[in-house]
Amino acid sequence: MNRDSILNSRRLSILAFSFSFAYLLSFLFEGQVLYSLLDLLEVNSSTYILAAMILHFLGLLTCGLYVKTQVVAKNVMVAGMGICLIATIPFFFDPSFLWLLGLIISGYTSGCAVASWGFFLKAFTPKNERIKSCADVLIYSNILMIVVNVVAMNRSPLIGLILSMLCLLVGIVFTWMLPVDQEKDQDKAALNKTQGSIKNSLILLCLFVFIITINSGLMYQVINPAFDHLTGLVSWYWAVPYIVALAIMRNLPTKAKRSRILYIGMAMIMGAFISFMLLKRKTSDYILVDTLMLGACGIYDLFWWSILGEMLDYSEKPAQTFGIGLSANVFGVLCGGVLGMTIRSIGLPSAELAVIALSVVCVTLVMLPPLNRQLVLLLKSHAYLAAYDNMSQSQQTHIVSQVKTLDPLTVREQDVLQLILSGKSNREIANALFISENTVKTHARSIFSKYDVSSRAELISTLLKNQTLG
Amino acid sequence: MKLIRKRRNGFVIMFLANFCFAMLLSFVYKEEMVFLFGTISLISLLFLVRQNRLLYDASLIWENRILVVPSIAPNLSGRQIQKDTEETVVSTFGILLGKQIYRWGLDGIHGIRLQTTLIDKERIYLTFGDAAQIMRLEMLHGMSQKKEVIITAQKLLYETGVQADIIGW
Repeated sequence: MNRDSILNSRRLSILAFSFSFAYLLSFLFEGQVLYSLLDLLEVNSSTYILAAMILHFLGLLTCGLYVKTQVVAKNVMVAGMGICLIATIPFFFDPSFLWLLGLIISGYTSGCAVASWGFFLKAFTPKNERIKSCADVLIYSNILMIVVNVVAMNRSPLIGLILSMLCLLVGIVFTWMLPVDQEKDQDKAALNKTQGSIKNSLILLCLFVFIITINSGLMYQVINPAFDHLTGLVSWYWAVPYIVALAIMRNLPTKAKRSRILYIGMAMIMGAFISFMLLKRKTSDYILVDTLMLGACGIYDLFWWSILGEMLDYSEKPAQTFGIGLSANVFGVLCGGVLGMTIRSIGLPSAELAVIALSVVCVTLVMLPPLNRQLVLLLKSHAYLAAYDNMSQSQQTHIVSQVKTLDPLTVREQDVLQLILSGKSNREIANALFISENTVKTHARSIFSKYDVSSRAELISTLLKNQTLG
Repeated sequence: MKLIRKRRNGFVIMFLANFCFAMLLSFVYKEEMVFLFGTISLISLLFLVRQNRLLYDASLIWENRILVVPSIAPNLSGRQIQKDTEETVVSTFGILLGKQIYRWGLDGIHGIRLQTTLIDKERIYLTFGDAAQIMRLEMLHGMSQKKEVIITAQKLLYETGVQADIIGW
């Protein structure tokens, strides 16, 4: 594919996902259209909302088991969205079991469709540009969601439902138009081994995402109900700070230290809860609290979405990787929601409620910077290893022998070093050399000490830097 | 190793017992006794942590053994060492003498390291240490075949990078 066609494919994939995701945000996944419909017909919403979320979670998690090529990914996306469209039709009629059935089916299929987009994010957006594509889809889908929300909350929920279905239909058309690179599918087997092992990074990212989104779920349950009387403002202003934060983050220079922005996000969430505790429930108070809270959500969401996007490069199964990452998000929202509901059910006064919520936020957010550091380190190490893996055997030997150590490595340490450089984990090295994992760790420490480095990433970067200078 | 494990388990029991006593006494408001048992449990916790670390090192030495010498009394820098009945292990990461440990190669290039090794007909002489202190340990190795000696020397070179001098064979 030439540059122009890649650019067009990228735009097309962004539009396809944005429109489909707008349906999800405005209707299926705790959307205002669904809430408005359930409220209008005085139906207990929790069963419906929970069923859709759980099935969506399962769809995201299991999709990778059978979506293994771009062709299948495209088919699953089109079919999944088509099924969602059909499953939404019962909502034009009186409540029946078809509502719940529709939400269960569309919850699962939409999860599969969303996860499958991982293939197109990987194929059509170049490396290091994925933060922009992720920001674009989040911005566009949230703008569409605002439009649908305003109509659903101020005009009629049914018109809102029609609009969200229209979004889905447009999403299907754009997905249908997406080109499929079959050659890449056939070359998949040729991918090197290093690119397949991202388990540790993904687990860490999921933990990161889970912690962040617990706060979102908590916020839905604690802050939102307090401003129920400001329906008009909430319908359009709710996601505006989120979109602005995404736009700012999207256009930050590449060199900007994103970890520092996480601290700003942390301060914003704390500020939001403190303001919520101290201020009244006026319009200006809502604007302040929502700006701080949703701005922080925008910062965090784009941060982990972009890391997940970059991670796709090291995965042979983008749908699986993307789905697992997003399922951690849904699981976090679920847990946060349950936590919020529990806090509310105790019937505490709002000030005490906010203090409890704030304490949970503080505890979870304190864990974020070290998690982030670990994650960046893991990814950095992975990128270096991929570069090393692409070199020929003689080049690899050359760069290892070129770098001076403070003390010569023993033969055993050389064996361990070779396996470290081939991207193996401590456990894999232990199995390969028939030694214990603790022995491998001790040898690795000794190797780092002899190279005067403190981590695997630093070790490989030292070796590669030397190669560049040579 | 068994002795170290036994001692570690002793500290676990001691810590748990004192901690439970302190908890029980706190219910009956015996403040002095709570303070006493609390302090003892804290001290035993510190010993437990230390002993655990020792056990970790001992396991590492045991897992990477190069030479296992039957129970004899080794000689450290000229003085005899009190030794329990367990065998002596020379390993990639140090020597295990019953409940005593001499570590090397565990703390990178700035820590204690094995410097030289000499094997004669009867004994093996190991010199190890850091910039501050050098120690020399000699012991009967119990090897009767030259092949065994050569294999041991090769293992030592492979694992520690130290070329053993073989004399008198």
